[in-house]
Amino acid sequence: MDRPQLLALFQKMAGEVAEKDLAGLQEASVIADIGVDSLAMLEIIGEMERELGVQIPDDELVGIETVSQLLNLVEKRVAAG
Amino acid sequence: MASDQFHEKLYQRFRTFFDDAEENRRWNPYRDVPWDKINPDLPDHVALCAETFLGVESYLPDYIRFGLDAVRVSSLGQRWFAANWGYEELKHSLVLTEYLLRSGKRTEEQMFDFQAKLMEQVWERPFESARQMTIYGVFQEMATFVIYLRHEKVAQRYNDEALATAYRFAARDEVAHARFYEDVTKVCLEEDREGTLRDINLVVKRFEMPGVDLVPDYDARIEVMRQEGAVDRDLFYKKVFFPTLRRLGVDRSELGAAARREREERRGAEAAQ
Repeated sequence: MDRPQLLALFQKMAGEVAEKDLAGLQEASVIADIGVDSLAMLEIIGEMERELGVQIPDDELVGIETVSQLLNLVEKRVAAG
Repeated sequence: MASDQFHEKLYQRFRTFFDDAEENRRWNPYRDVPWDKINPDLPDHVALCAETFLGVESYLPDYIRFGLDAVRVSSLGQRWFAANWGYEELKHSLVLTEYLLRSGKRTEEQMFDFQAKLMEQVWERPFESARQMTIYGVFQEMATFVIYLRHEKVAQRYNDEALATAYRFAARDEVAHARFYEDVTKVCLEEDREGTLRDINLVVKRFEMPGVDLVPDYDARIEVMRQEGAVDRDLFYKKVFFPTLRRLGVDRSELGAAARREREERRGAEAAQ
């Protein structure tokens, strides 16, 4: 799954979890600024993990501020198989 | 309806908790703090943090009233824990009051005025059921423990061993309370895993520390506490949220599934209207 697809997946899951219309979302977007709180973000990550069949260790989930940082984490896990 | 085994387990958890408290954790706010080691030059904003802790602790009458009301019919172990909890939490208010007076940071008149102002507001319990309140207790007590520990370090940094000791005693009680609530939650998970996961999801989503919008100037006070104690959202996740889930034996994916079920049920109900 390439980067635009990961972004699209994030948008879809964020729409599902946080019920936000995130059309036009940028990787540089700060997650808190798009109305997704930290717990909703964890839920979105959980949904992405389920969809992609990966698991991100809890301690790596701390300190994520932007969509880009989140996608980096997911991408790394997907690449690691 | 909870099983007899549920009540027995909770009672046993309470016995263990109480025995440990009697044996290892009893302390006297007037005698066990080195009051001669107050730093008279402690900055005012650090004393303000102590007063803020006191402010939040001071809603004890409401915590007891509404908390006990939530658990009084659930189990003997929880009822008796609630009674003992009130006694232990009271000492946190006593020791902080004692500190503020002995340090000269506040006068008796200021303290009584502060208390009177606090009681103009009423804390109401944030969740309905005993199980939800227990889960709330797990996260709230653990978060309070972490924040007290952070501020113990702050007090040490300012060479105030009296304040550091007061925070240490309070922190030790808070973590013991968190562990009891965890034990009860584990029993709840054994009894009804799906329902308990649903409640964990609910509590986590609506979680707020007590004192929000109650203690005067709360936001400004909390900002001082956050800055001085280096308390932030990441600390909550690292020291409270993830470790608690691990100790409860709950995987993030399980919690995610509970959240998904809740969303689907809510949307189903909305669609049916």
